[in-house]
Amino acid sequence: MSASPSVRPAPVARSMTLPPESLRLEGELPMAGAAVPFVEIEALRAREFIPAAKEALGSLISNRSRETLIGPVFNWAGRNSLFPLHWGLACCAIEFAAAFGARWDAERFGVVARSSPRQCDLMIVNGTVTWKVAHKLITLYEQMPEPKWVIAMGNCATGGGPFRTAYSVVPGVDKLVPVDVYIAGCPPRPEALLDGILTLEKLIRERKE
Amino acid sequence: MGPEELRAALAPALGPSLVGVEPFEGFAARVRFRREGATELFRAVHGLGNTHLSMVAGIDWVDHREVLYIVWSDAAKQYTLLSADLPADDPHIETASGVWPSANWHERETWELVDITFDHHPDLRHLLTPDGYEFRPLLRSFKIHEPEELEVKVRHV
Ligand code: SF4
Repeated sequence: MSASPSVRPAPVARSMTLPPESLRLEGELPMAGAAVPFVEIEALRAREFIPAAKEALGSLISNRSRETLIGPVFNWAGRNSLFPLHWGLACCAIEFAAAFGARWDAERFGVVARSSPRQCDLMIVNGTVTWKVAHKLITLYEQMPEPKWVIAMGNCATGGGPFRTAYSVVPGVDKLVPVDVYIAGCPPRPEALLDGILTLEKLIRERKE
Repeated sequence: MGPEELRAALAPALGPSLVGVEPFEGFAARVRFRREGATELFRAVHGLGNTHLSMVAGIDWVDHREVLYIVWSDAAKQYTLLSADLPADDPHIETASGVWPSANWHERETWELVDITFDHHPDLRHLLTPDGYEFRPLLRSFKIHEPEELEVKVRHV
């Protein structure tokens, strides 16, 4: 005799107007020093989730001021989904690539490299910056939407590295764009890059708008 | 094709612009020429089957400069070295990009690093250094700058 197969209950059909009890305030989450209300949305399907989320956000915004709520929520969302620019300047880019490969898998931290600066909030300067490329680097940085961060990866991006006195090397990318985290090494190992990204996440958590 | 045959093939077209053809290790020959006959030499060498220009380079010998071309013949499977001496106070030579289009970027690089001007070049712009960069870094007179000192000069070009 075989065991009777477990039967999954059929999804309950719901109308698009949500019953009021589907939005429930469920306590507070400590985030950035401020207690933030935690909302649980009961919705079985994606098309129900969107109006529910809209309604939940709307009610939260009306209850709390923007500073105490939206800042921490966006900070929390942003630091858990940092999208770095997918580019490579010199040899450090090899380690950058390794960090996103199967072995170190930076994606488990929500870090996904994107090819367009308009989809990015993090620029990882992974290599030697020459004066020839400086203008392009600034253009790419300016194309990234705010808020945005910069990690200088390796000795070259930090201070010119072995090419500091070369005729065409920028002695540190902080001459061009504001840098949040510096990673030492020539090249830094992928672990060091991941540590730098996690350090940046800590910095973002402490950020005050 | 050895040095003697090469001299025989080039001499009629070049006349006095051909300074000498000598053996050179690893190459079919080394052809020394004067810049006045540059275009004729490029055409003649190309006509002998050297259809690929491998590189253009320049050397600063302080008292004069030297421009070098390395060409490759697919048929003979051999490189040939072409070289011309240029005066240090007026280093210019006719472009080779009309004969070998690949000379374009090589000559831009030689111009910006060794300061050899290529006349009638279609697009003589900076290749590796920023536009307006005032140094010629592969000249022996170039001094290593402190990064801060260099920055002031190249930042807003
Ligand atoms: S820091 Fe070292 S490994 Fe990284 S780009 Fe510079 S020279 Fe290459």
